[in-house]
Amino acid sequence: MRALIFAIIFIFSTAPFSLSSVISDIDKSNIELSTRFDGTSILVFGALSPENDSTSLLIEIIGPSTSVNIRKKVQIWGIWVNKKIARFKDIPSFYQISISNPEHPVLIEIENQKLKSLFYDSLEANSTPEDVNGVEQYYLELTRLKKKLGKLSVFEEQVNIIDKKLFSHKVNLPKKIHPGIYKIKMTLIDQQGIKLSKSEQSVKVSKVGVQEFLSYNSKNNPVFYGLFSVIIALFLGFSAAQLFRWLYR
Amino acid sequence: MQIFLPIADVPVDLFVLLILGAAVGFLSGVFGIGGGFLMTPLLILLGIPAAVAVATEANQIAASSFSGVLAHLKRRAVDFKMGNILVVGGLLGSAVGVEVFRIIKSYGQIELFVSLCYILFLGSIGTLMFLESLSTIQKSRKSENTFKQKKKHNWIHGLPFKTKFKSSNLYISAIPPVIIGFIIGILASIMGVGGGFILIPAMIYILGMPTKVVIGTSLYQIMFITAFTTFMHATQNKTVDLLLALILIVGGVLGAQLGARVTVRLKAEEIRILLAIIVLLVCLKLALDLMITPNDLFSITYGSGS
Repeated sequence: MRALIFAIIFIFSTAPFSLSSVISDIDKSNIELSTRFDGTSILVFGALSPENDSTSLLIEIIGPSTSVNIRKKVQIWGIWVNKKIARFKDIPSFYQISISNPEHPVLIEIENQKLKSLFYDSLEANSTPEDVNGVEQYYLELTRLKKKLGKLSVFEEQVNIIDKKLFSHKVNLPKKIHPGIYKIKMTLIDQQGIKLSKSEQSVKVSKVGVQEFLSYNSKNNPVFYGLFSVIIALFLGFSAAQLFRWLYR
Repeated sequence: MQIFLPIADVPVDLFVLLILGAAVGFLSGVFGIGGGFLMTPLLILLGIPAAVAVATEANQIAASSFSGVLAHLKRRAVDFKMGNILVVGGLLGSAVGVEVFRIIKSYGQIELFVSLCYILFLGSIGTLMFLESLSTIQKSRKSENTFKQKKKHNWIHGLPFKTKFKSSNLYISAIPPVIIGFIIGILASIMGVGGGFILIPAMIYILGMPTKVVIGTSLYQIMFITAFTTFMHATQNKTVDLLLALILIVGGVLGAQLGARVTVRLKAEEIRILLAIIVLLVCLKLALDLMITPNDLFSITYGSGS
């Protein structure tokens, strides 16, 4: 009996999930990449019941994985030539992390831990450079370039909390994004950065119409695509000749 | 209006492309050239990856040369036998060129390679064109109407496999046309050009073909070679952007038709000097881009390749 009571007390004292919770939704679950796609945004919103004032909400958006090569231009005989220097295997093509409390005490630790596991650790062993500082440098260049392209954002925007109960967050996606599943993770954390509760959503980004038809067939049916391109070109050339012959008759 | 190109994977302005297509098409209509040697570098300068610019431009030239060859067919200005022999050489050249292209691309140096080819070609052709038009203008001022005499007997006549070309009124070896066709095939596949600027002088000065069949026959060969090159690039390199090609074809065909109709009314030498200056400027821009220290030394590329 005493053991049972201890067990119940133990469960309650270490189970903050029951006290803090977050529920969420997004304004769209599909994004279509047409030839007219010019960037878009996703609105993430929801409700939370924080344990106390020190609870913060963390929102991450993680795009589909791609491999990235970093190239550096070097001067050879007066001209600038691309030299491949490093390769990061399967890193998120898009990553954004934001928090409701920018003064959170362990912000730097969260940043370092996330970026290390997502990017730093993905540097392929065979591209490890000669000097020790190299890895660090390529990683820094990677994050700098990704930020420049609008594909990496670390605590640049603040998650909006209304009346300690509701939250909303707008995620801007650039013109050039990779198709695939974009995961959106909401996590409630305490002052030490310990997870209290989480919620997850996903958005499917896919090419549509002409965009889909051409990029799919170019990759998967190259023979068909090649013939198709030639036939379309010849047909248009023929039509133009006929049209102008008729016009100038 | 901005559109996103599916294979080039870059956003571009539709109207800029249409106007570019029409402008280059106009010049090509005036001079009877494919226009590829201007279009490909301009596409690269617009931010289209070099590999896509080359392959897509080949696709556009297939359309414009077909349109052109139909007009010449009506005037019976095509030497089919000569054209077919040039095509044989051209198909071989194109196959070799696409393979070379693929290998260089796998090393991640295709941008550099295409740029260097263009600097070399535009530089030399622009300079030649400039000097030639300059001297033509000086000659016409002196009103000396000198005709360049065709060499009736040169080294061509010593080669074997002689055959009769009825439409061209020639009896020469098949070897030179095969070699010329081969070179054109290489140029088409690695530079995305029709190669008219080399082919036409070669037909006149090396093969000694009469001018009346030269343009029609060159278009006939160029059509086959660029169509084949498009197919090869699509299957080997997957770099043909059909949407981009469609836009350029529409712009180019309109421009070329206009250009072809104003030919007689314009003084060729002066426009040719202008064209030479454009060619040299594009060449200079490509050269500067390679030599000036870039703003950002680092860049990223996606995917498993280089």
